[in-house]
Amino acid sequence: MWRDALLVAGKDLRIELRSKVAVNQVVPFAVIVVLLFGLAIGQSVSPSGQALPGALANAGILRGAAAGLFWVAVLLSTLLAVQRSFAVESADGARDGLRLSGLDPGGIFLGKCGATMVLLVALEAVLALVAALVYDVHPAAGALLVATCILATAGLVFVGTTYGMLSSGTRVRETLLPLLFFPVGAPVLLAATKAFDAGLSGTPGAATSWIELLAVFAVAYGAVGTVAFGPLLEDG
Amino acid sequence: MSGYIEAGYAVVLGGLTVYGTLLVARERSARRRLPEALWRRRPASHGAEPAAGSPGDGTGPTEP
Amino acid sequence: MRNTSLLLRATGLLAVAGLGATVWLGIWVTPPDEHMGNLVRLLYIHPPAAWVAFLAYGVAFLASLLYLWPRTRDLRLDRVAGASAEVGVVFTALTLLSGSIWGRPTWGTWWTWDPLLTTTALLFVLYLGYLALRSVPGDPVVRARRSAIGALIAFIDVPIVYFSVDWWRSLHQPPTVDLATRQMYVHGSMAWTMLLGFVAMTLLYCWLVGHRYRLATLVAIAESEGAEVALAERRAEARSDRLVGAGLGRLADVPSSPALEPAGAARAETMVETLGSEWRPEGGAGLAGSSAS
Repeated sequence: MWRDALLVAGKDLRIELRSKVAVNQVVPFAVIVVLLFGLAIGQSVSPSGQALPGALANAGILRGAAAGLFWVAVLLSTLLAVQRSFAVESADGARDGLRLSGLDPGGIFLGKCGATMVLLVALEAVLALVAALVYDVHPAAGALLVATCILATAGLVFVGTTYGMLSSGTRVRETLLPLLFFPVGAPVLLAATKAFDAGLSGTPGAATSWIELLAVFAVAYGAVGTVAFGPLLEDG
Repeated sequence: MSGYIEAGYAVVLGGLTVYGTLLVARERSARRRLPEALWRRRPASHGAEPAAGSPGDGTGPTEP
Repeated sequence: MRNTSLLLRATGLLAVAGLGATVWLGIWVTPPDEHMGNLVRLLYIHPPAAWVAFLAYGVAFLASLLYLWPRTRDLRLDRVAGASAEVGVVFTALTLLSGSIWGRPTWGTWWTWDPLLTTTALLFVLYLGYLALRSVPGDPVVRARRSAIGALIAFIDVPIVYFSVDWWRSLHQPPTVDLATRQMYVHGSMAWTMLLGFVAMTLLYCWLVGHRYRLATLVAIAESEGAEVALAERRAEARSDRLVGAGLGRLADVPSSPALEPAGAARAETMVETLGSEWRPEGGAGLAGSSAS
């Protein structure tokens, strides 16, 4: 199963290397979202009703919300990455090829998740740099941030890929997938944001239970996805 | 009373009445659209009974 | 089969009677609460609705799980899951609305990010997604499996959502507005009325799910066998029109038509059987008489 997973992940990453869709489209999308949040919050005014001197006034709000905004951007990008991961399989009967390949379905699932995770973690690295710059935050506790990124991304990708497979056979997948995915991803958004807050404010001890929650989420949905992927692949 | 209580009861009971009524209506129209052959092949012994799903079939919750 | 129809009807009548009694007791008979005053009267209808919502999702989850288990796989379970989830979404919406109406005079705000409220709101959108997934057209068996896995994913999320929101609130700030029901002392006639509310709402849930299940069965018949049967009927009509004349078309031998496979017809027959005897289209009695002759 693990060997099959590596095969599938290698295939998806090679496709990405040649097509560069994630690099050229998904990463810029995430950066735009981060900038848009800055613009939206930049409209705020002081309680007395007069516009505050921009840079100074908004820095506080933005810095406080930085972690949450970052993770909303990641959540949106995950959707795009998952959709891309299945768009690759939908053309030229690639799905039939996958079905006939004799690879273990659980392995295919883990492979596709692995490739998407690699792309998303790379995206998060770029996005973190941009967000740190424009939101003016100074990360402390780097190890905690990295652990949060990996666990949260794993959970999101497991759910996203399972739902992606669930909706990929239907004609309404573009609209169905976000409706299915975002509510389930909500606790990950919450937990990752809280863990990031702890990391940014220099109190990593507060993040323990959130990290545990992220781990439970990732394990639960990884297991469900691995088991459910076979039947879903057969249904086509 | 404050109006909030009446509003709360009205929302819950009204919503359930609307849903129940819609459900019975959907059921009847679905039954009507079925081809008659399916029903014709059944024994005629129950023929005298009027069609059910009528409003008398428990119309959902209504305030007394 | 007649018995299930009668049972369903009795359940509906009992539910309406029970709800009527709850309203009467709740608004006119029970005393106002020492702390909450008359606002306590929403206690008899809001928590029961919330309970039914969670019950409905639990039933949908169990039915989906049983469907995924190969030994108990049955499309009827899929229909139960769908029916229960739809009723659950209705009750969740009503719970949110009535809770909001209750919250306004109690807490001074229409909405607060209390763990239970937030979880309920997320549940609502979660199961809206599940219903959307169910409504995608396709082969019934494929759709049933897809929906069952979707229900599984959604239900696993419920405790995770609850814990995350609970920690979020407790880490953030001590809960200043706790749900009133948690610290309220319910006694005497109030307790009985509340219990009656729970029972009546549960009965109503059964009635609604029963009818939603029947609707799903009718739709399933229309999808699978309906087209075949209708086709066979038209063919038989056309053939007998040519041979005998228009008036006797109805007596054409439908089962001998090639389009209506014996197995398919038998399956349709058993599905019709589950609908209960009185469930015939208008005018069905006359037709039944003519075909039996």
